[in-house]
Amino acid sequence: MSVPLLALRGVRKTFGPRLLFEIDRLSVEEGGAYVLVGPNGSGKTTLMRILAGLDRDAGGGMDFRGEPAAFTSYPERLRRSIVYVHQHPYLFHTSLRHNLEYGLKCRGLSSAERARRVDEAIAWAGLERRRTTPPGKLSGGEKQRAALARARALGPELLLLDEPTSNLDRDGRAQTLELLAQLRDERRTVIVACHDQEVIGLAGFARMRLDDGRIALQSG
Amino acid sequence: MDLLQPTRQAFALLFGGDPELWQIIWLSLWVSVGAIALVAAPSIALGFLLAKKRFPGQRAAVVLVQALLSFPTVVIGLVIYLLLSRRGPLGSFELLFTPWAIMVGYMLIAFPILVVFTISAVQGADPRVYETARCLGAGRFAASLTTLREVRFGILAAVVNGFGRAISEVGCAIMVGGNIAGLTRNIPTAIALETTKGDFAQGIALGFVLMVVALGVNVLLALLQGQGGLR
Repeated sequence: MSVPLLALRGVRKTFGPRLLFEIDRLSVEEGGAYVLVGPNGSGKTTLMRILAGLDRDAGGGMDFRGEPAAFTSYPERLRRSIVYVHQHPYLFHTSLRHNLEYGLKCRGLSSAERARRVDEAIAWAGLERRRTTPPGKLSGGEKQRAALARARALGPELLLLDEPTSNLDRDGRAQTLELLAQLRDERRTVIVACHDQEVIGLAGFARMRLDDGRIALQSG
Repeated sequence: MDLLQPTRQAFALLFGGDPELWQIIWLSLWVSVGAIALVAAPSIALGFLLAKKRFPGQRAAVVLVQALLSFPTVVIGLVIYLLLSRRGPLGSFELLFTPWAIMVGYMLIAFPILVVFTISAVQGADPRVYETARCLGAGRFAASLTTLREVRFGILAAVVNGFGRAISEVGCAIMVGGNIAGLTRNIPTAIALETTKGDFAQGIALGFVLMVVALGVNVLLALLQGQGGLR
């Protein structure tokens, strides 16, 4: 039996005396596409943030490619493997190109390789005409696509997307759904937290339901 | 009082290249720029730490720096005087009544301005900046630098304000510089002296330069902020 990409063990999150969730075990397979659903306040965003190392105040831990890690001492190396995209993504106040290049520079890639990946990311997101546009001039849908492209360009082993279609107009949602479907087709491991029925209904996405402090993996 | 005559004389001095006047202007500029150049980086770093890190005594440290903002500059001058005077602990450096003593004073005067403005800018930064940088693989230091870059206009405002406070300061400069002609006389101390002597022409000329510098720096800041507003 192959080792899952990610295996959660005894993940427990409380806010004061209130237990938000407790997850005994959950596995995420490499190349799998998942949607994380659940009512408002069930802890979807919190769980994503814990997995990304942005919230260390959580019990339990995970095995990433079989290597154990506690959330309270989140390993720096996992930040290169797991990339989280906020519900309202932040684009740095510079050009689109520099935004896409940021994480690549952090990884010490050569300028030629950075340029290749940036060009590929811009084409993937359909933002060729926005190459030099300041982020403030991008529409909501373009910002979301830029953020997805920025995360994808890093080639992460696990991509965590928080409500990527929220607050987008019809066209923006359709374009973002198309990119999500492409991520699935590329066999990238992705977890998408959402309420959006169209995302939830995307073929090939397994459903994780977080409700009443428990999580259950449902049919794909 | 007839203001026209001294104003005419003032412009004649300025544009006639009066060496004494331009020596005063040059001293003011290099001492102020030097002080800001030396104190800016550590002050901004401290401001960032006080804004982002939680540690015992952090609140007290912020209150102390804020209190320094309203500290009388003559008291700062007095402290430096006592430290640098011949019998003071730093007397052996023989810095008193030199431009370097004024520079030290300017650094201490600009320090709380830079720190408090930086705290305000960093606390006002979108928390997603740091998180996004970390999520994209930046280390803590790189993510901190990214945060500072995102609030660069606030930081620039801190630097401009610190510079403005330094170049227009009188009390400390007189105390530790001594207002010595050709050595430590700068724009504000010269204005104060010439006005008491009734020589308004030089005072007006120097006041004009001071206003042009203040206006120029602030116009530059506004232009940069305007470019930022287009993002």
